[in-house]
Amino acid sequence: MTTVAAAGRFNLRREPMFPLWSIAGVAAVVAILATYPLYGTEYVMNLLGMFVCFSIFALSISLIWGFAGILSLGQAIYFGMGAYFIALSLKLSYAAENPTRYGGTIPDYMEWNGLTEVPTIMAPLMHIEVAIVCLLFFPTLLAFIFGVITFKRHIYGVYCAVITLAEALILQEFIIEYQAYTGGFNGITDYETYNNMYFLWVILGVAVLLFAASRLLTHSRIGTVLKSVRDNDVRAEFNGYEVANYRIFVFCFASMMAAIAGGLYAAWMGIVSHLDTGPILSIEGVIWAAVGGRATVIGPFIGTFLVKGAEFFLSEQLAWAWQLVMGLLFIFVVKFMPDGIMGTIGKSIAMGRQRAAYAESEDAFQSGPMAVITRLRSAFTDGNRGFMDNLLGRSGRRD
Amino acid sequence: MSGNILEITGLTTRVSGYTILDDLYFSVEENELRVLLGPNGAGKTTLIDMISGRYKPTGGKILFENRDITGLAPHKIFKRGICRKFQVPNMYETLSVFDNVMISLAGHRLVVQSLFHKHTATDQDRVVEILEFIGLVEKAGFPADALSHGERQWLEMGMLIAADPKLLLLDEPTTGMTEADKQKTADLIQRIAERHTVLLVEHDMHVVRRLGNFVTVLHQGGILAEGPLSDVVANEEVRQVYLGQGKFSGA
Repeated sequence: MTTVAAAGRFNLRREPMFPLWSIAGVAAVVAILATYPLYGTEYVMNLLGMFVCFSIFALSISLIWGFAGILSLGQAIYFGMGAYFIALSLKLSYAAENPTRYGGTIPDYMEWNGLTEVPTIMAPLMHIEVAIVCLLFFPTLLAFIFGVITFKRHIYGVYCAVITLAEALILQEFIIEYQAYTGGFNGITDYETYNNMYFLWVILGVAVLLFAASRLLTHSRIGTVLKSVRDNDVRAEFNGYEVANYRIFVFCFASMMAAIAGGLYAAWMGIVSHLDTGPILSIEGVIWAAVGGRATVIGPFIGTFLVKGAEFFLSEQLAWAWQLVMGLLFIFVVKFMPDGIMGTIGKSIAMGRQRAAYAESEDAFQSGPMAVITRLRSAFTDGNRGFMDNLLGRSGRRD
Repeated sequence: MSGNILEITGLTTRVSGYTILDDLYFSVEENELRVLLGPNGAGKTTLIDMISGRYKPTGGKILFENRDITGLAPHKIFKRGICRKFQVPNMYETLSVFDNVMISLAGHRLVVQSLFHKHTATDQDRVVEILEFIGLVEKAGFPADALSHGERQWLEMGMLIAADPKLLLLDEPTTGMTEADKQKTADLIQRIAERHTVLLVEHDMHVVRRLGNFVTVLHQGGILAEGPLSDVVANEEVRQVYLGQGKFSGA
C-alpha cells in the first residue's frame, strides 16, 4: 500500500531493531571476553568482569540521561543496594558454615559490633533467592518513591541532579553509621566469591540480555516518547503526555538495572563498601556514559571499557596525574563531543545520509569553504547549545 | 450554531501585583475561527496559557463543552480536546519530522500503552496524510532541527492536527515568517478551520484580513471590542489603542 511506497520515497530509513552487523559484533566481543579466562591472566579476567558490571551500570545511566534527559548523580544508590543485598546474603551463608574465631556463626563485623545473632529482619537474606528478589524489588521501589517525589513536582535538570546527589550522600552516611548491620566503613568482605569463568559467562549473559532489552525499549514507541520528553518536555506535556509518569517509569527500570549490575559486582569482587553507593561512583558512571555516547546503548559499554581501562593503565604509568587526565578528558568530551564517541559517529553517518537525500531531491547544497567549516563545526558541536545544555542533554532553543 | 464550545467567565490573573487578565468574559462557538487581537501586553498569550493549563488563574472559570477545566494539568486539558501551539515553534528537535507527527497522533498517551503499542500501517498512512497536508512530506526523514523557521511552524501545526483536538489554540503562528510563508500559513489555518474550532492569536493584519470574520480585541487584560472585523476596524476606541500605527488604514 502507500505505506511501503511512502517509506521508500521519503527517506524514512528505519533501522532494524537488531541489525545483523551489530549482532555479529556483539557475538564476537562476547566470545572474546568469555574465552579470555582460558588463555589470559586472572588479573585481567578480574578486571573484565568488573568492567562488564560497571558497563551495565553505565547503561542504566545512559537510559535515564541520554534517552530521557534525567541527570542523576545518585544512580549508585541502586547499584549499591543491589551489591549490599548480594554481599549480605553471601556473607550470612558463609558465616553460618565458617564459625568466626570466637565461635560465632554470624558475620564477623556483626560480632565486633556487639550483636550476638543475626537481626530477624536480615535472616531471610541468607537464602540467595530471597536476596535476588529483594535486589529486584527494593531498589525499584526506592526509585519509584524518589521518582514520584521528584518528577511529580516537576523537578528536573540541575535541581534533579542536586537532589539525587544528596540522596546518594545520605545513603552513604546511613551505611557508615549503622555499621553493626552494614559493616560500616570497612564494608562487607570475606565471603565466598564467584570469581571464575562460569560466573563471567553469567555476567556476560545478563549484560547481553539487558543490552537487548534497552535497545528494544529505546527503539519502540516508548523510546520515541522518552526522547521527545528529553527534547522538549513542555511540548510533550501539551501534547497530552504526562511527562512525570514517563520519567518515573524509565527511572525505575534503570534503577533495577543498576541494582542487577551491583549484585553481579558484589558476587564477582568479593567486597562491597559504602564507596559503591556514593556520589563518586555515580559521577564516574555519568562520565562513562558521556564518553561512550549517552544516547546510544552500545556507548556505555565502550565508554566504561575505555575510561576504566585508561584509569587502570594511567594509574600505573602516571600515578601522580591520572585523575587530572581523566578530568580533562571529561571536559573535552562535554565541550567538543557532547554526544560521546558512538553518538558522534552515529550523527555523522546520519548527516551523510541527510546530505545524500538533499542532493537527491535536487536541493542544491551550499558549497565553498564556509559550508565546509559549518559542517565540520556542527559535526563536533551544536552551535545552539551551551555547555550546560550539553551536560543536561537538552536542546538550546526553547520557548 | 451549535453553541459555545469554550466559555470563560470572570477570568482574572494576577502575577506579583500586576493584573494581566482582569475579569474577562469570553466565549468561542463551535466550528468557529476566532481571531484574538491586541497590542503587546494585552494578555493574549496569558489567555492561551490559562486555557491550555500552563498556569492557574487567580480567579474565574473556564468551561469547555460545559465542563470546568480551570486549573487542570496540561495533559488533562489535552485529553478533553484542547491542543495549543506555542509562539516560538516547539517540537522534538532530534526526532525526525515523521516521528514528531507520529508521537502526536491521537490516543496512546499512557506509559503502558506506549510500552506495547506497535505502529500500524494505518498510523503511518495518517502521518503521511498530515505531512502532505502541511507540505513537509519530502522532509519526513529529516530531524526536526534541520527545518527552516516556517517549516517548523507548519510542523507544529501538523502535530496539532495529528492529535485531532476539538479546539486548537494557535499563538501567533506567523511570527518571523516571510510574506510568502505567511500566505501559506494563512491557507493552512483556513483549511484547518474547516474541520476544527480554532482560536488564533495574530498580529499581522494581512493574515487577519484573510481569515478573520469575527475578531476579539484584548486590551490591558480585558475585552475592548468584539464583532465582525469591519466593525471592529471602524471602532474609534480600537483605532486609538491599537491601530495608532495606521495598520488599519485603507481597510
